Amino acid sequence: MTTRTGESTEAGQRLGLVGRLKNGNIELWANLIVLALVIGFVFWRGSGFAITIGTVFAIWAILTVSLNLVVGYTGLLSVGHIGFFGIGAYSVAILTSTTDYSLLRTQSIPTHEWPFFAALPVGIVLAGAVALVVGVVFNRFRDDVFVLVSFGFAIISFNLFLNAGAITRGAFGIHEVARPNIVGRTLDGELEYLIMALACLAIVSLVAWAIVTSSFGRVLTAIREDEQAAAVFGYRVTHYKLAIWVISAMMAAMAGGLFSSWTSFIDPNSFILLESILLVSIVILGGLATIWGSLLGAMTFVLLEEGMRFLPFIPDVYVGQARQVALGVLLVVLMLFRPQGLMGRYKL
Amino acid sequence: MRHQEVVGGHYEVQNPVVNIVFGLVVAGVVAWALFEILYPRLRGRFSRRSIQGAVGLAGILAGLYTGLLLVYPDNLHLLFGPVAGLAVGVAVALALREGLVRVTSSEDGPMATLVPAIIGLAVGAGAAAYIADRPESGLYLSWAVSCLLAGCVGLGLYRGLYVTLRNRARSPLIMLVASMGILLAISATITIVFESAPRPLPPAFGSGPIEFGGGNIKGFNFFTVGVSLAGFAGLLWLLQRTSFGRSVRAIGDDEDVSKVVGINTTVVIAIVFFIGAAFAAMAGILSGHDTAIQPRMGLLLLLKGWIASVVGGIGNLYGALLGGFALGMVEQFGIWDLAGEWKDVISFVVLILFLSFWPKGVLPRK
Amino acid sequence: MTQIPARDAERYALGTVGVSKNFGGVQALHRLSISIPRGQITCVIGPNGSGKSTLINILSGMLPLDSGMVIVDGEGLHVVHPYEMPDLGITRTFQDVRVFNQISVWDNIMVVLTRRKLLPALLERGKASQRERAEQALRDVGMWDKRNSLAEDLSYGQRKLLEMARAMALDASIYLFDEPFAGLFPQMLTRVKDIFKQLRARGKSILFITHNMDIVRELSDHLIVMDSGELLVEGDVDEVLARREVIEAYLGD
Repeated sequence: MTTRTGESTEAGQRLGLVGRLKNGNIELWANLIVLALVIGFVFWRGSGFAITIGTVFAIWAILTVSLNLVVGYTGLLSVGHIGFFGIGAYSVAILTSTTDYSLLRTQSIPTHEWPFFAALPVGIVLAGAVALVVGVVFNRFRDDVFVLVSFGFAIISFNLFLNAGAITRGAFGIHEVARPNIVGRTLDGELEYLIMALACLAIVSLVAWAIVTSSFGRVLTAIREDEQAAAVFGYRVTHYKLAIWVISAMMAAMAGGLFSSWTSFIDPNSFILLESILLVSIVILGGLATIWGSLLGAMTFVLLEEGMRFLPFIPDVYVGQARQVALGVLLVVLMLFRPQGLMGRYKL
Repeated sequence: MRHQEVVGGHYEVQNPVVNIVFGLVVAGVVAWALFEILYPRLRGRFSRRSIQGAVGLAGILAGLYTGLLLVYPDNLHLLFGPVAGLAVGVAVALALREGLVRVTSSEDGPMATLVPAIIGLAVGAGAAAYIADRPESGLYLSWAVSCLLAGCVGLGLYRGLYVTLRNRARSPLIMLVASMGILLAISATITIVFESAPRPLPPAFGSGPIEFGGGNIKGFNFFTVGVSLAGFAGLLWLLQRTSFGRSVRAIGDDEDVSKVVGINTTVVIAIVFFIGAAFAAMAGILSGHDTAIQPRMGLLLLLKGWIASVVGGIGNLYGALLGGFALGMVEQFGIWDLAGEWKDVISFVVLILFLSFWPKGVLPRK
Repeated sequence: MTQIPARDAERYALGTVGVSKNFGGVQALHRLSISIPRGQITCVIGPNGSGKSTLINILSGMLPLDSGMVIVDGEGLHVVHPYEMPDLGITRTFQDVRVFNQISVWDNIMVVLTRRKLLPALLERGKASQRERAEQALRDVGMWDKRNSLAEDLSYGQRKLLEMARAMALDASIYLFDEPFAGLFPQMLTRVKDIFKQLRARGKSILFITHNMDIVRELSDHLIVMDSGELLVEGDVDEVLARREVIEAYLGD
């Protein structure tokens, strides 16, 4: 991390692990609790559960890491990220779907039957191009106005998915999205898919790590703190903001592609505004301006749903909603007591 | 609990947890508000403890009453009648007394108090009897109950969160993220309690279509327009003509200075929160009667409100009205060429255009 | 264009010709023409609201000019972009101390030392030469011990020093300091004065704003007196301070 403070780590080394825990080191506690929960749940629910939840985690984590680049490192609170996720998901779905829609009585769209690994780059590049255009328009906005227009992007993209029926089949959704195929072997098994998703997550995390530890990442944090001052020291602020915005959008599109081929069916309901707000909440929960925090946040979010099943007064249908309540309350508590999130290095 | 009905005699909520929570919120809010208002005035005459006791008792009673209202929504007209009557009576008495004092141009003791009191009492009792006599008035009373409840929840959030948050917050984004948290929690709670499917509210007056200029319009829509205009006029009067409004504007300009010159900023901001929440509830009810209610209906309405204020000019009441009206028109104009499903897109495109080229809005604040 | 002294790149590092700036009807600068001698310390004085900070903001490209031009090394520029400053050899500090708050002192310095272009910056992770320069800059202002603290945790004086170190880490030839002495303890004051003298000894040109006449007398070589956005007097410090209107306006009795 570029912004680690010396004092806390030095003091920590003097105290040792137990001492730090006793001292109420929230970061350490958060790490331990989440890891213990992961292990506990996997033993309790078995490996099938671990595989499913691992895949869900990998997809969410790619999203949170990518969004943290924008929110945590650049200070732009974007609530529109789900749009790029959707672009990736729809690109892969439309290009790889094997259903012959002309046989269906509902909306018909052409079938392309591309392989997954040909469609994914198309989705990523498309998301990047859209991000470039959107970014040029959004570049002048900051703070709460940026939040408002990013809400706008989320709603506009959702409406496009829903209403551009000739391309997306609207509310009917797209079926039979292809699974990835590596050297003649289709990844039909859940375990194989998990491995691929985790590999993608590793790539995204590595790229993100390389970005934030480079001079480029340092400049981003400077821009976040004071745009004008960063400009006077020779940085073309708009270019930097645009670049990270596009990179982040492309990562989100990658998550989208994985998501649609994993579920094999998508419709606009996966890309509603609320999901986007959830996504921002997870990023803030895990911590701003830290990649590990984003991974932890995604893991917490995935586990929360399972945790809610323990509550006796919540019917199973409403577990997702209960998780949302918990997340909302957590978010408020964090804003009160720890505005940088669990592991964060940047306070809003 | 999922097949029963909501407040208003047509849907019942018999979820004890919800009733208790609402009762507690109301009790807390009433106690706090009374304490905040009464304590500075009665400090000289009574001890802090006895004021707290009295206020606590009033809060508990208010909470119990709220619980009662929620438990027996069918008999809303009976339960709410006396309170409505009391309110009408007090209002009439006050108005009469004002007039009497002005006419006799002196505060000559018992006359100025007694006569209005008796007349007020009579009118209030009449109003109470009228309401209690008509079960169908339950629906309209439920509007009042909903608005008051929403106002209390808004006040509770203000006291419980806003005050603390603002003392700690270093940027407006913290408030924004906290509001997102509240939004997530509340909308999910509503989904858990009331299901996520949209459901219509019972028909109110004027729900049938009226032919107007070659098109069919619900009479209720005229009522909606009327209510929003009346609400706007009321707010305008409140802000421009009353000392409360002057305080609000002073706080808007500079809160610290307002505190120094002796405005009780806590109470004023609390009242603003209450009014805001009550108005939001009214908007929800009206749009619910127009289409249907569902847990997530709030966010988009809220965003549209935000857009309207940006388009009209932030911090300008006329601007907000103009912006809202213009936005509504633009959304509807869009229907000529495009299908209606694009209206959200149109709103946000308008927003982005305005922010890019006309960031101060149509009626900028000075 | 008859006689524009600032055009003389030999003698003057920086200057303006007929620069005007309006803020919504308020004339902050009115046809201001000044020239800042090379290798000297120039001081700008004037009452509050006389346009001193606006001048620095214009010279550093943070505000666009309404009319006139800025002259850098004898070359006239009608449009100045902030991001061109390092290329023009100009660096600055701010009146309201603008360090990068939520990053470490070390990163605050490193930011100005790294590559500006996107791709090289992405591939760069801090070369040894850059680290040496950052260390030097921090040691110069006595902040080396604080290198791992967050900038927001520093005291006001330390933040001021950090800002100065950041400006100096960028190897510029022209330094613009906006009220560098305001709100400093005597000890810090001496430190900043020393920094000024060091810079002059290395042949750098300095423009700074102050309200403290003792510092003006002690440090500056060239003095610019401004009033309501216009130039009142400009010239050698002793000459200017001897003039009647300046004495009346600033030094009183």
